[in-house]
Amino acid sequence: MNPDASRTKRAGAPSPYAPYLEAEWGFLNHWYPAKFSNEISEGAVLGLQICGIPIVLRRSKGRVYALKDQCIHRGVKISARPTCLTDETLSCWYHGFTYDLETGRLVSIVAAPQDKIIGTTGLQTFPVHEVNGIVFVFVWSPTWKGDVPPLSHDLPLAFPENNPRFPHPLWPDAPHLLHENTVILGLHRLGYANWRLAVENSFDAGHLLIHKDSSYVRAKNWALPLGVRPTSDKAIQLIEDEEGPKGFINMYFTEHWEPVFVNERLNLRASGTGGAKYYRTHIVVPGALVVEAWPEDEVAQYEWFVPITDDKYEYWEVIACRCRTDEERASFEQRYTTLYEPQCLYGFNNDDIFAREAMQDFYADGAGWSDEQLGEMDHTIVTWRKVAARYNRGIAPKPRGVQGVVRGQAVDLANLVGAPQVVGRRAKAWMP
Amino acid sequence: MDAVTRAESTGDVKSVSPTEAIVCRSRTVRLRFADGVAHEVRVGESDTVLAASLRSGIQLIHQCKSGSCGTCVGRVTSGTLSMDSGAGHCLLPSEMALGQRLLCLSTPLSDACVQLDYPSSFLRGDGPMCVVGQISAREWVAANVVRLGLNLSDAVGFDFRCGQYMRVRIPGTDQWRSYSVATTPTELPTVELLVRILPEGVMSDYLRDRCAIGDNVELEGPHGSFCLRASQARHVMIAGGTGLAPIMSMLDQVRRIEGRRPKVLLSFGCASPESLFYLEELQARSDWMPNLEVRVTVDCGGANYRGAVGNPVGAVTAADVADSNTMAYLCGPQPMIAAARSHLKALGLRPENVFAELFAPSAQESLQSRCGTRQTSMEPEI
Repeated sequence: MNPDASRTKRAGAPSPYAPYLEAEWGFLNHWYPAKFSNEISEGAVLGLQICGIPIVLRRSKGRVYALKDQCIHRGVKISARPTCLTDETLSCWYHGFTYDLETGRLVSIVAAPQDKIIGTTGLQTFPVHEVNGIVFVFVWSPTWKGDVPPLSHDLPLAFPENNPRFPHPLWPDAPHLLHENTVILGLHRLGYANWRLAVENSFDAGHLLIHKDSSYVRAKNWALPLGVRPTSDKAIQLIEDEEGPKGFINMYFTEHWEPVFVNERLNLRASGTGGAKYYRTHIVVPGALVVEAWPEDEVAQYEWFVPITDDKYEYWEVIACRCRTDEERASFEQRYTTLYEPQCLYGFNNDDIFAREAMQDFYADGAGWSDEQLGEMDHTIVTWRKVAARYNRGIAPKPRGVQGVVRGQAVDLANLVGAPQVVGRRAKAWMP
Repeated sequence: MDAVTRAESTGDVKSVSPTEAIVCRSRTVRLRFADGVAHEVRVGESDTVLAASLRSGIQLIHQCKSGSCGTCVGRVTSGTLSMDSGAGHCLLPSEMALGQRLLCLSTPLSDACVQLDYPSSFLRGDGPMCVVGQISAREWVAANVVRLGLNLSDAVGFDFRCGQYMRVRIPGTDQWRSYSVATTPTELPTVELLVRILPEGVMSDYLRDRCAIGDNVELEGPHGSFCLRASQARHVMIAGGTGLAPIMSMLDQVRRIEGRRPKVLLSFGCASPESLFYLEELQARSDWMPNLEVRVTVDCGGANYRGAVGNPVGAVTAADVADSNTMAYLCGPQPMIAAARSHLKALGLRPENVFAELFAPSAQESLQSRCGTRQTSMEPEI
């Protein structure tokens, strides 16, 4: 473009990241983590919801299949009461509408084998990629045309392959989710905020204040800065390869960022005396984060913020570690169980969950998106919004006929108070 | 539905014969839609009205095809339809007594006539309608261009395709004008139009002097076949002035394609820097769409203008259309369209890949409306 720079911006001009603001229910046509492999054993049927789309998973003969979790007949969640009559099919527990796992086609109805509707309709299916202990689902729209992009296009970059572009002399190469020998341990839990608030919190360059007194940071005695500020246009480096993930790396611990250790005006200092902790954050669309060299140098923490509705997301936190031997694996598992999970994924990151939920009121009705007043620390937040607006593969529409669209229904309240005899309680596999 | 009436309403009877001749003793069933359109179909003695109609290409509302859901109901006004097919069905005796039949189970025992309670266009969804909109925005985006926002929330069932246009009745007059929609169906019930304002003109006078937010405006449409063609080849769009409107709609359509999105080059030109508009909107599309390149030109720049001077046609070069499958979309005044056609032809573009929407030059504004025409040229005139 070559507009005359003398023109000033009109009041009615669009936001530079308007598509991101539209994406209240998430981005479609991307890969999202759905379950850990060990959550879905042979024959198991589990339901979950991503971007407002109910999805049922079934493992049959080792392979995981994903179909829309909403019977075409009366719309109940098939996962609410798992019913499988053959290895190749999934049946609805209500009237026995039976679907082929591979194609989703309606192949029979238990009590109406002659029904003319058989063979003419079916459930939407979703591509599945299971790797290193995580089941990923490509959450696509029924109108998606063309090939399914590889999972690697929706995951952070791998190292050492990308060291020449994004060097990190202060820590070893981060283990990558797709590499052989990578062991992934972690958890996922429900978060009560819009998914975008969660993503933005995850790499927020100015939010270190909330972790200042984390017991993990205190125990390590790290001099975790109060914040970091960008000092050049190389502070944030975009990743926008034609064939690959789209996102950016915050080049922390280079000359392009300045850590803030003291605020004289407020008489506040970073607490630790044991030296700096080097790490780096890197995020790609649709919201897959890695913190390299975190919680310790030889591992990496990956996170996702998978939209469920417009006010709930599934928070995935996993630690990846390179384990070449059984001994290394056992050692990692022990360290995960005794340190990473309690002190980091819960202890440290609980502060983030608190912050996301605290933001929800301001943004829930749209006020925050227009009334927020951003500062220099938010350079990285706005970069994310623009990258997400530009490279998402589709905006999830507000759905119809699924959980979370109509708020405060009696069945939701009954679930909250734990009333017995409520079918919905059995559909909450994604609840903690 | 008060504000909505279907514009097309013909009493013509189109006779359709079934594609398969399974007829031993077949009867003629006349299907009469709510808009007066009627079709006739031959139905064999072991066939059903619904099956024969669908085979003949007559779309009828239906779902279960087994007599259960009730959606294919019609009312017999003459003759006899039997539902004694050996299956149960959901009609009440009182409904049967009114002549209602489920067409998925119905076989004619005589020639018959069936009345349907929906218009023939219902399943096509593409017929023009008369609707009423409320003005929700009037923004001067350039010295002589107004962005007009209309709220069509009363227009139940209204839909259009990106690139189509609406006829607009200027409030307080009997004058009609045609304007392309600059937004997409995703933004419904809001539509936006881009209106060029003249020193004198009925619409111009209205927008300048009398228009108020909340005014009711009658519209009729959608019309036109200027729309995006499905192709992975590069799309080259050339827009002059408010000819940008349908192009904006098509850009936002490309932006929302789910799957691989084609590359797009937009060349947009206005007469002068003062008449340039929508630069923020175009910058935003450039930011949102890695597949989009935008070039902006003005015919006469003046001493202080730092942008490109020229016309939007000349800004498209041979390299831009090197792929022989390139698709071109032109919208602007007639001289621009003619120049673009000959320029693209000279650059080797295939004439059948060039689509144009002509808008009447401003001086002909009233002439255009009197004729009620807006020429959409599907066929290249090169």
